[in-house]
Amino acid sequence: MSFVEIAGLTKRYGALTVVDNVSLSIEKGSLICLLGPSGCGKTTTLRLVAGFAEPDQGEIRVGGRAISTPKSSLPPERRGMSMIFQNYALWPHMSVFENVAYGLRLRKIPADDLNKRVGAILDATKLSALARRHPGELSGGQQQRVALARALVVEPEILLLDEPLSNLDANLREEMRFEIRRLHDQFRFTSLYVTHDQTEAMTAADVVVVMNQGRVEQTASPSEIYRRPATGFVARFLGGTNLFEGARSGADAVDCGEGLVLRCAGGAYAAAGPTSVSIRPHDIKLSEAATGESVNSARGTVARQTYLGSHRDYLIELAGGRQVRVVAPTEIDIAAGRGVWLYLPPAACWALER
Amino acid sequence: MRSTHSRQANHALATALAALLVAPCAARAQSAGTYEVTPELIAAAEKEGKVVWYTSADTEVVERLANDFHAKYPKIEVSTERSGAERNFQRINQEYGSDLHVVDIYEASDAVQFPIFKRAGWLAKSLPAEVVKLWPKNGVDPDGEFATARANLSVIAYNTKFIKPADAPTSLASLLDPKWRGKMVKAHPGYSGTIMTATYVISHALGWDYFEKLGHQRVMQVQSSSDPPKKLALGERPVMADGNEYNIHILAEKGVPVVPVYAPEGTPFVPGNAAILKDAPHPNAAKLYFAYIYSLEGQQGLSDVGGLRSLHPGVKEKAGRVPLSQIKLLESDPVALEKEIETIKQKYEQYFGT
Amino acid sequence: MAPESSAALAAPARGFDAFRPLAGLLIAVLAALVALPFFWLCWYALTDAKGAFTTANFIALATDPTMTKPFVLALAMAACVSALSCAIAAPLAWLVARTDMPGRGAVRALVMASYVTPPFLGAVAWEFLAAPNSGLINQAWRWAFDLDPFDALVDIYTFEGLVFVIACYTFPYVFTLVATALDRVPTDLEEASAILGARGARTLSRVTMPLVLPALLAGALIAFLQALTMFGSPAILAMPAGFHVITTKIWSLFQYPPRLGLAAAASFPLLIITILLLRGQAWLLGRGNYAVVGGKSGRARPTKLGAWRWPAAGFAGIVLGLTVALPYLALLKTALTSEVAGPLTLDSLTLHNFHFVLFELSSTRLALRNTFLLGFGAATIGVVIALAAAWLVARGKSRLTGALGFLAMAPVAIPGVVLGVALFLSYSRPPLQLYGTLWILLIAFLTIEMPAGYQQFASALRGLHPELEEASRILGASRLTVLRQITAPLLRANIVAAWCFIFIGAIRELSATILLTTSNTKLVSVIIYDLNESGDLGAISVLGILLLVITFAVVAVANRLPVLGGPPQARG
Repeated sequence: MSFVEIAGLTKRYGALTVVDNVSLSIEKGSLICLLGPSGCGKTTTLRLVAGFAEPDQGEIRVGGRAISTPKSSLPPERRGMSMIFQNYALWPHMSVFENVAYGLRLRKIPADDLNKRVGAILDATKLSALARRHPGELSGGQQQRVALARALVVEPEILLLDEPLSNLDANLREEMRFEIRRLHDQFRFTSLYVTHDQTEAMTAADVVVVMNQGRVEQTASPSEIYRRPATGFVARFLGGTNLFEGARSGADAVDCGEGLVLRCAGGAYAAAGPTSVSIRPHDIKLSEAATGESVNSARGTVARQTYLGSHRDYLIELAGGRQVRVVAPTEIDIAAGRGVWLYLPPAACWALER
Repeated sequence: MRSTHSRQANHALATALAALLVAPCAARAQSAGTYEVTPELIAAAEKEGKVVWYTSADTEVVERLANDFHAKYPKIEVSTERSGAERNFQRINQEYGSDLHVVDIYEASDAVQFPIFKRAGWLAKSLPAEVVKLWPKNGVDPDGEFATARANLSVIAYNTKFIKPADAPTSLASLLDPKWRGKMVKAHPGYSGTIMTATYVISHALGWDYFEKLGHQRVMQVQSSSDPPKKLALGERPVMADGNEYNIHILAEKGVPVVPVYAPEGTPFVPGNAAILKDAPHPNAAKLYFAYIYSLEGQQGLSDVGGLRSLHPGVKEKAGRVPLSQIKLLESDPVALEKEIETIKQKYEQYFGT
Repeated sequence: MAPESSAALAAPARGFDAFRPLAGLLIAVLAALVALPFFWLCWYALTDAKGAFTTANFIALATDPTMTKPFVLALAMAACVSALSCAIAAPLAWLVARTDMPGRGAVRALVMASYVTPPFLGAVAWEFLAAPNSGLINQAWRWAFDLDPFDALVDIYTFEGLVFVIACYTFPYVFTLVATALDRVPTDLEEASAILGARGARTLSRVTMPLVLPALLAGALIAFLQALTMFGSPAILAMPAGFHVITTKIWSLFQYPPRLGLAAAASFPLLIITILLLRGQAWLLGRGNYAVVGGKSGRARPTKLGAWRWPAAGFAGIVLGLTVALPYLALLKTALTSEVAGPLTLDSLTLHNFHFVLFELSSTRLALRNTFLLGFGAATIGVVIALAAAWLVARGKSRLTGALGFLAMAPVAIPGVVLGVALFLSYSRPPLQLYGTLWILLIAFLTIEMPAGYQQFASALRGLHPELEEASRILGASRLTVLRQITAPLLRANIVAAWCFIFIGAIRELSATILLTTSNTKLVSVIIYDLNESGDLGAISVLGILLLVITFAVVAVANRLPVLGGPPQARG
């Protein structure tokens, strides 16, 4: 049994089911990312774990102990967790030191021990020089570090992070992504991290949970999620993809109509009804000459071409009106309106039953 | 005009003298309620240390009386609640309605109130021996529950700074002259017991017609009968249609150019009664202070400092004041007046707007 | 900081969470504060002396001209006050918030000062100034132009006079609302208009005004309500002028023989009008939300007035002169002279009035003590209850907390005189016999001031991100600890403001207190009213000055007290 077990968690607001039968396991010391678009229920799930909301169904167990069920719910202050908020939520009336020391004071840690612990975490977050400042006098990145320090100093059983980087500018965000991962590797707190940013999830997480409309779409490692998406939604949400709808034909191929048959490296095939094939834009090979392959090959016309420095972004229109996005090296320069051949390597094709 | 009998006031003095002569044999109310000021009473009063009274006489006059008493008996504080007779009546009704007995002595210029209290059984049968012995018969309740502590007249007056004596109003009827339009001030029967009585006797002597016409004179309306003399002194209005004679005395003797006018139609005579309440919280201090109010010292003070008329035969009126004997008085019947209060207030509002 | 040490730091030990019992208690207290008076009001309005059901009171209310006329007059007066307040306050607010007029800061502070002045004291001061014959202004006028006695420039004892005096004390409400709205109008909107070539005046009329219009209308409604339910100023000025407004009429119904049923019934139209107007205001302000979007625009760029700077300052000076300087000077002069109407010379200078008030008037010290005791008590308890209620409503999720919000706001619909009637009816009988004690006054003040305090905190809490509190809870603080350690210190400025507001409100309250005080529970406001009734103007001035000085001192100290983390410091 994992350290954190979430089973059948459901939360409704009126007629709206915000979290719908979510189940998760989190191993001790791992960092799990809840990833999804806004309104997918990831933040509500986090708040249910934190205790700021009570579930309508399902339960949350930590270390084998039920902390939240529809009948009884441990209040947040007794869950031994800490949390990093989207807006940092630093208390402007306290200095950096006091902000960080707050949780320790609540735990009635003796003064010298408290000073030692706060000092250590301020060092670890490179904040020692700013201890006497007030949050209003800090930059966004510094505030973020204070929030981290405040959350980590109490050595929480579980660390919750709610879109912690969404208020930082792009450069800082990149830096902090690695910072969070570094601090996690250093302290190894069991962490639940909510974000809508796939790069953040990929960088930070041991396990990524993709959520959509209150449900879990897929739970897997970052590479697994990317390479072997469970659903069309996951494939599209992570990095963008082309989806071809068709029907299974043979053991490992999908007939997408218009003469396009795609052999796939793997995935799930629907027994009856449509099966989709996902292929990433940069996996598709583009040439003006015929490919010579009978399957996994299609002919089309360049509808649009955009030069993006490191690569070119093509929109190809296939016979029958289907549009395909292709990312090609800059050397392949084919003007709009020209006929082209596409080769969709079977190794990059992934079958999806949803 | 059954209930109103106007007569020369030497009548009253004669009665007083007669009372003085026959007092020993009159033996009226010489009952259990009559008391003398004894050392025991003083000791008991000093032990209580406080007396509370409600009064409708002028602030400075009553504070002076209370301070003189306090100077004589320094161990007894006098708490004075000065307000219009009707305000105090409203207050004591509210209080007694709530079983709240905070007041020891009640004094008011509205004679109507005392039969009401008497019926309600709120008054103590308690009068100083001096009153029983010296007061004229119509100045003392036959059952010994209250007595006239002061008498007041409601007079016309004017400010000589603005009006030459030759031009001054001479009678109630002369106030209806258009030349006084917008130049008069008067008090309100709804707030002032003195004016309630005055309105009653004048409405009976001259008819409501008089007030209807006076209502067209754009009279400045104030509440307490102490206020018109002050507005007169201030020069806010040169003529006072009604108000306390005693304030005019006080002001005139201070050198303020105000002169009273005793109308040939008659001057309302307003007895100010006082009584000890049965449920007085400081019964002994109440008796002591009550006796002081009626003592020659207290009454002479009310006359000298307060400009009030006293029923104490020993009181000497200051030179320069018109003796009561030369004034035609309009006397009222409190019991008959009580039945007319609503009518008076209603008619008054109709003619004067408030 | 090794992971092994994790076990050493468990979640904080379980403490007693008093949240639920306290929430329940709060609801019970507020329900009692509001529901009991309402019940007795209805009871008296609808029953006769024998306790049988009757509609006679309402019929009398609708048909008796001595009842209907005060209503009409009160509505007319309130409408005029509202219009006049806006006419004064809107331009002044714009000058202060949006232009380079000299002395803007001082104007803002002084307008606030005029809020501190109790309306009844202002009315008395204006009697000194503008009584048609003895008024100082009229005397000066006659002296300057060598006119006859009784030629008056202004007469305060008129409908117009009353409207003016009340407007002097309602315009700060409009001013504050409009100035705040102007502060918040995003500069970029104005700049966008300027860039598009609109001239200053056009920007003002086309962009700025529409944005602050909801605030202005809301202010107009508040001024209307304030005037409609005001007792002190009409009690002092309307009677000499020969008319009643509804509040003074209700008050007169308490005179012997008291007509409590009619008084209770007469309260209902006031209640209904108040509720309707407040709904209107809420609707307006709700719609007006667009006026306050875009918070990041920073300080507005002031409009350059150029040659108009000094006329503008003159306008502000006249407004403040009429509302603050002249009344205060008149009070001071009256306090220091023996003759109110006489000239102020070295000979006429006297401390007699001070001596009389401080040493001879037996009720002064008791009343001062009671007034400030109640002011402190009501402000402190009121802040605690209002903050707790607003917090429960803002952070709570249950239907019960919704009821709490309604209960806290309900007294706003009860005019002071009505509340006085209702509280008297409620607490002069068992089970809660509080009449004659300071408690009934405390309850009155708490009830009257609760909506203002609640609203202050409710809006402050809307601006306070819940994450700030959640951050504390997740670290181990119970809800009450959060309220104490995080929410309250963060709302320090609001707490001090609400405290001062309630304190000042208690000091200047007359309409409810006039029915609820007894000799042992005298308040300065009631003494001033009584002294005015008997024409003791010097004493009134002394008491008024004492009241103002002490109030300003208390407010000044309250803003500097090192409670809840001390005065706000300038932080980035």
